[in-house]
Amino acid sequence: MKSLVKIIVFSCLALSFASCQDVVQVKLDEGSKLYVVDAFVNSLRTDQTIKITTNSNYFSSTAPTGVSGANVVLTDLTDNKQYSFIYTSNGNYVYTLLPTDTLAKVNHLYALNVTIDGNVYTSSTTQKRYCSIDSINVTLNDNSVGFGQQSKDTSYLCILFAKDKADATADYYWIKTFRNDTLFSDASDLNLNIDGTGGEITNAPEDSLDFTAPSTLLGFKKYRRHDKCRVEVHSIMRNTYNFFTQAQTQINNGGLFATTPENVKTNIVTPNGTTKAVGWFSVASVATKSVVVK
Amino acid sequence: MKKISFLLLVLFAKTVLSQDKATVSGYLKDGKNGESLIGVTVYKKNSQIGSSTNAYGFYSLTLPKGNDTLVFSFIGYKTIMYPITLNSNHTVNIELKEEETDLDEVLITSEKEDVNVKSMDMGTTKLDIKQINKIPALLGEVDIVRAIQLLPGVTTVGEGASGFNVRGGNVDQNLILLDEAPVYNSSHLFGFFSVFNPDAVKDVKLIKGGIPSQYGGRVSSILDIRMKEGNSKQLSVNGGLGTIFSRLSIEAPIIKDKMSFIVAGRRSYIDALVKPFVKSSNPIKGSQFYFYDLTAKINYRIDDKNTVFASGYFGKDVFGATVFSFNWGNATGTLRWNHVFNSKLFMNVSTFYSNYNYQLQFKTNNSDQAFKWTSNIVNYSIKPDFTYYLNSKNTVRFGLQSMLYDFMPYKAIISFNDGTKTNLVSEKRYGLENAVYVGNEQKILPRLTAEYGVRLSMYSLIGNGSAYYFRDTTANTPLPFDHEKKYSQGQIIKTYVTPEPRFSLNYVLNSKSSIKASYNRMAQYLQLISNTAASTPLDVYTLATNNLKPLIADQGSVGYFRNFKDNMFETSVEVYYKYMQNQMDYVDNADLFINSKVESQLIQGLGRAYGAEFYIKKNKGKIKGWISYTLSKTERLVRGISNDNWFYSRYDRTHCLNTSVNYDITKRWNISANFVFLSGTPASFPNTKIQIQNYNIPYNTDNIRNNYRITPYHRLDIGATYAFKKNERRRYKQFLVISVYNVYNRRNAFSIYFRTKDGQPNQTEAVRYSVIGSFVPALTYNFNF
Repeated sequence: MKSLVKIIVFSCLALSFASCQDVVQVKLDEGSKLYVVDAFVNSLRTDQTIKITTNSNYFSSTAPTGVSGANVVLTDLTDNKQYSFIYTSNGNYVYTLLPTDTLAKVNHLYALNVTIDGNVYTSSTTQKRYCSIDSINVTLNDNSVGFGQQSKDTSYLCILFAKDKADATADYYWIKTFRNDTLFSDASDLNLNIDGTGGEITNAPEDSLDFTAPSTLLGFKKYRRHDKCRVEVHSIMRNTYNFFTQAQTQINNGGLFATTPENVKTNIVTPNGTTKAVGWFSVASVATKSVVVK
Repeated sequence: MKKISFLLLVLFAKTVLSQDKATVSGYLKDGKNGESLIGVTVYKKNSQIGSSTNAYGFYSLTLPKGNDTLVFSFIGYKTIMYPITLNSNHTVNIELKEEETDLDEVLITSEKEDVNVKSMDMGTTKLDIKQINKIPALLGEVDIVRAIQLLPGVTTVGEGASGFNVRGGNVDQNLILLDEAPVYNSSHLFGFFSVFNPDAVKDVKLIKGGIPSQYGGRVSSILDIRMKEGNSKQLSVNGGLGTIFSRLSIEAPIIKDKMSFIVAGRRSYIDALVKPFVKSSNPIKGSQFYFYDLTAKINYRIDDKNTVFASGYFGKDVFGATVFSFNWGNATGTLRWNHVFNSKLFMNVSTFYSNYNYQLQFKTNNSDQAFKWTSNIVNYSIKPDFTYYLNSKNTVRFGLQSMLYDFMPYKAIISFNDGTKTNLVSEKRYGLENAVYVGNEQKILPRLTAEYGVRLSMYSLIGNGSAYYFRDTTANTPLPFDHEKKYSQGQIIKTYVTPEPRFSLNYVLNSKSSIKASYNRMAQYLQLISNTAASTPLDVYTLATNNLKPLIADQGSVGYFRNFKDNMFETSVEVYYKYMQNQMDYVDNADLFINSKVESQLIQGLGRAYGAEFYIKKNKGKIKGWISYTLSKTERLVRGISNDNWFYSRYDRTHCLNTSVNYDITKRWNISANFVFLSGTPASFPNTKIQIQNYNIPYNTDNIRNNYRITPYHRLDIGATYAFKKNERRRYKQFLVISVYNVYNRRNAFSIYFRTKDGQPNQTEAVRYSVIGSFVPALTYNFNF
């Protein structure tokens, strides 16, 4: 229910008549070096990428420095199959699927081994079941949805109809939305959902509530005619969901009701006495669908 | 209970034995409006034998028989010399007349203005409502909680944050009493204004240390607010038209000198003012936000021995748009009976009811989808309190309090388009807190007075309800749930008993100075769950459970008090040390809302706070005011946080300088100013960022909490009051108050946070968030008749 607080923050910003925000210069200490493992593997039949970088000074304006020369191996522990990722550039390690490969299988256990300078960093995860997307419904934005948000010109809303198994097991989703193949990637676009069954999910990346019961999400990302809207619903583990909610809080933690900043958790295990690695490893089942606004 | 009845017997027996003495007792009132006067000094002329009136204006003084003169004195009132021939017990009720405040006249100074030196009180500040009225205020509205924030030892995390922090205590550690009923949320409009209508308030007392045994339930301070009883002489009306809200209060006798009432109300109209400035695309368009409150009191003086009071407060904040609404409110009611058994034994029985509730709601325009969340805390309590004026050397106070907590942590109803509903309803929580206390104020030597006592508090979490049990795990991660056990109605789930010793000493060095020392232990059985910078009105309180231990604080303080220039200046220096156990903290990524097993997200740690408070106050003359400076440190130690080291608490402020002055230029013009300088609050800043899925996540490689400080806070406010020329034949008085808050337009940071620029994935920046980022002028028109 943390998003509730966000809404209140938002409301308060609107409320406080004289409040203001401005960019300031802050002097920060040099932090110690960390390896950052960005390992989000999924069931899509596209190249799978695991990225290994180092942390950078908070105000650094360049892309993070990639770590080359690492050995990155994904193991399907259930099938006892190994997939070696090959270094390309900028810290990216890529695995190109062969037609015979099924890299991601439901309920399979996966291990990740990253070897840097002879030290092995490990992690493990499980792949969750899929959700099925029924359709994406395009409606004219009549301003009936959202916080009374209004616009002057004609725009459309895309509403996702998806269904997952309605049983006692909770399903956790990370919903990625693309307009003309560009991911909505701002901090506010991170769209997470639990058990979004039975109803419509407006594909707007503005999350409002993460009910632990069947729910509907509201939002207001707008599309114009001929725009292509594509949605990926990633079925993720609960701890991955928690990782994202924690990251979401830290990414934009301002206002009157900001929470105490904290370091995001990691599921990467660092061997004793070596440079610490942080980051996250996830293997997701992905359902995808796209529609062109006509 | 047996002990207490025994004690009573002993006390009565002793009274009978002392035949050579007699007791004078009675009530002191304001001659103009019949309000009882609190803290009036009563003493035998040219002696050390004296007493003062209690919260109901009652005093009792035992003296040797014979002819004597009693002196009644109170700041701002003419001193009365009352000759008396004392052969038996006497009742003397006195009405004091106000000193003429007109500047042309010579001030008649009363002799006893050295109360601060002589009284037992330490760490205690009384604020006269007249004094509060002169402090320049935000938007011209006088506010008690904001006035308190100018006192030594009191801080806040920033503008707009509700509540206040006393000597390193959290906002939930202040017992805020409105006519003895606890107020859980003292803020209107988040934290900009407090719920107390100054027109209805008579007396404000903040106790930070040396807390007497009759108070308990919160560990850091007591804010004791007493409402006016209502003018028992004639109709009187007070009102004001302000920038943000308007006020009106009416008080009048029902039976002259016997029965009177006061009704006071406020309503904000900020919603109406803001609307034109809100863009049509802004989500808050079509919204409503306002607050109102209503305070009322009626009292009936049945006879010399019995007085009854009924008082109540009801207030609400409403904030919402068409699809989203949010409101909260407090309601309290108190019934009191003062009874004088005899000239030495005074009793007050209070019963009260207090209800704090809030609601959050979302709904869509064209469908049935909705979400509604409600939560509340209800309190019922009875508190008989006795004061026994044993002799001129001993005043014994004893009593008990019984309080029932009835909590609804959350109740959420989710409605769907197809008409189905899902209810997420928490179990109710019940707690019973009982306390017995006894304390004695004793004049041990002519120069040495001690107040000592003990409060024994007993708390039980009771059924209906479940007790949850958790397994232990690594520090700073949620506890894994093990099992739960159901308890039926009234069954005890868990009990805690805490003896709370209280002790204070006053050694008078000479007529101008004294040294005071105190120690007190306090226990608190409920805490606020809030991991946000400013506590939100939605924060939930939680009772002590089988997993959560009560908060215990021990505080010791020593002070030196001295008056200068015939009591024109009051000065004091106090140092304190406070140690707290079981203070609430939260695991990382804690899920605190709508979580039945919220206990798994909480960790309890230690707290310590120490500091020195310097205070100088000028009481007389054309220029009045005070300067206070506090040097302090507040830290916490929580397992699994900040590498298991002590870290600064969020509200630590090393230096706090507060000044408040007002100057009567002429009969008509009064100007006033405040200047505040506070060290910046600690903040946790990242030193690096890590990029995952193209999100720049701030990361502190040292993992130290509150490792930086935001920029210092300072502000100047000025105000001017103009009293219109009065028509001599009429009582109607008018005032115009002009004020400017934050005169030199400083952007004081409330917080600094870190974010990625939208659309530029590698560009990160630090942002200063200021709640009030500009100067705020205001105009208020006040009247009374």
